[in-house]
Amino acid sequence: MSNTHKLQAVFWLSLAAFLAWDFKTSKPVDLRNEPPLIAAGSGQATSGGHCSMAK
Amino acid sequence: MKRLPLTALLAAFFLFLALAVSIRQAVLMLVGVGMGAALAGARFGFTTGWRQLIEQRNPQGVVGQVLLLALASLAALPLLGQFSELHAALGPPSVSLLMGAFVFGLTMQIADGCGSGTLYKAGLGVPLNMGILPLFALGSFLGSVHLDSWLSLGQMAPVSFSAEYGTGGALALTLALLAAVLVAVRLWVGAGQTWLDKRWLWGAVALAVLATLNLLLAGQPWGVVYGFGLWAAKVSVALGAFDPTANAFWGQAGNAQRLTQTVFMDVTTITNIGILGGALWVSAKAPADSKPLSTQQWVIGLVAGFVMGYSSRLAFGCNIGAMLSGISTGSLHGWIWVPMAFAGTLIGVRVRRHYQF
Repeated sequence: MSNTHKLQAVFWLSLAAFLAWDFKTSKPVDLRNEPPLIAAGSGQATSGGHCSMAK
Repeated sequence: MKRLPLTALLAAFFLFLALAVSIRQAVLMLVGVGMGAALAGARFGFTTGWRQLIEQRNPQGVVGQVLLLALASLAALPLLGQFSELHAALGPPSVSLLMGAFVFGLTMQIADGCGSGTLYKAGLGVPLNMGILPLFALGSFLGSVHLDSWLSLGQMAPVSFSAEYGTGGALALTLALLAAVLVAVRLWVGAGQTWLDKRWLWGAVALAVLATLNLLLAGQPWGVVYGFGLWAAKVSVALGAFDPTANAFWGQAGNAQRLTQTVFMDVTTITNIGILGGALWVSAKAPADSKPLSTQQWVIGLVAGFVMGYSSRLAFGCNIGAMLSGISTGSLHGWIWVPMAFAGTLIGVRVRRHYQF
C-alpha cells in the first residue's frame, strides 16, 4: 500500500467518523417537517447557510 | 476502489439521506456527485485556468469559465425573477471583501485549488489537497468568527443587479461585463491562440446545469465554504473551545440553529460530500497524477490552504460562492471579487514558481 493510498484511507475514514459522530450527537431530524423537494414554487422561504452571508 | 462498489456506496448513502434526513438532501447529494464528476472528469480547475492565462497566454480555461458564468446567469437571473423563494448570493461590498478576495486569489495558486478545486482534488486522492481540506475548514471557521471585526472596517449594503435594473437589465449588464472580460483576455493573449477546448466546454455546460439544479432544489445558489466552516464550528463547540452565543456570526439565529442540527441538513455540506464522492468515482478510472512534494512544499501548501479558508470567509465565498454564484445571481460583490482575486493570483503564481510547485 503506497503512502498516497494510506493517506486516502485516513482521509475517508476520518470524514466518515466525523459524519457518524455528528449525526449521533446532533438534535434528531424532524422528519415530519421535511423541506420541499423543490424550493422553487414551494411557497416556503429558504433559510440555508451560504458563504455570501454576512450574518 | 472500483466503480461498482463505489456506485453501491453512493446509492446506500442516498437511501440513508432519503430515509433519515430528507428527500431533498438526498437529491442534492446526487447533484453534488454530478458536480464532483464534472469538475474531476473535465479537470475544471478555476485556479489552473487563471494560471494558464497568465503564464502561457492560454485562454481556454478562462473561456470555459466565462461560458459557465454566462450559462448560469441565463438560467439563474430569470428564475430569481420568477420564484420569490429563491435567494441570490448577495455579499456586502466591503474592506473585508477586498482583502479576502485578494488573499484568496494569492493562496489558491500556492495550494493549487480553490474551494471546489480543493474538494475535487481531495476526492481524486491528491495528497496535498487531502491534507489541506481540514485546514481549509478550520480557516473558514476562524474567518467567520472574526468576520464582524473585518466588517467593522467598512462596508455597504449588498447590491443586487436584479433589484437595481430588473431581470432583463441585470442579465444584459452581466453578459456585457462577461463580454468585456473576453475582450480583455483577447488583448492579453494576442492573435493566433486556440480559444476553445472540448474539456472546458463540456465541463462548463455540465456545471451550469448542475448549479441551476442546486438553485431550484435548495432555493439558494451553489456554495462550498459555509459547509466547511460549519464542520469546524461544530467540532470546536463539542470540544468546549468556542462559545457561539458570544459571537456575532454564530450567535445569529439561523447559524446557531444549524450548529444544533446534523450537518446532513446543511445544503452546502451535502453538495460538498457529493463533490468528494463524484470525484472519487472519477478517480476509479482516471486517477490523478501528482508529483511528490518536499517537506518545505508541504508546509507552505498547508499554510496556504489554511489562509485560503480564512480569506474565503472574508471574501463572502470562493470561486463558487462568490464568483460563480455571486455573478450568476446578479451580485455586485462577485464582480469585485474577480479582479481582486486575479490581482492576488498574479502574485500567487510567482510564489508558486519560487517554491517550485
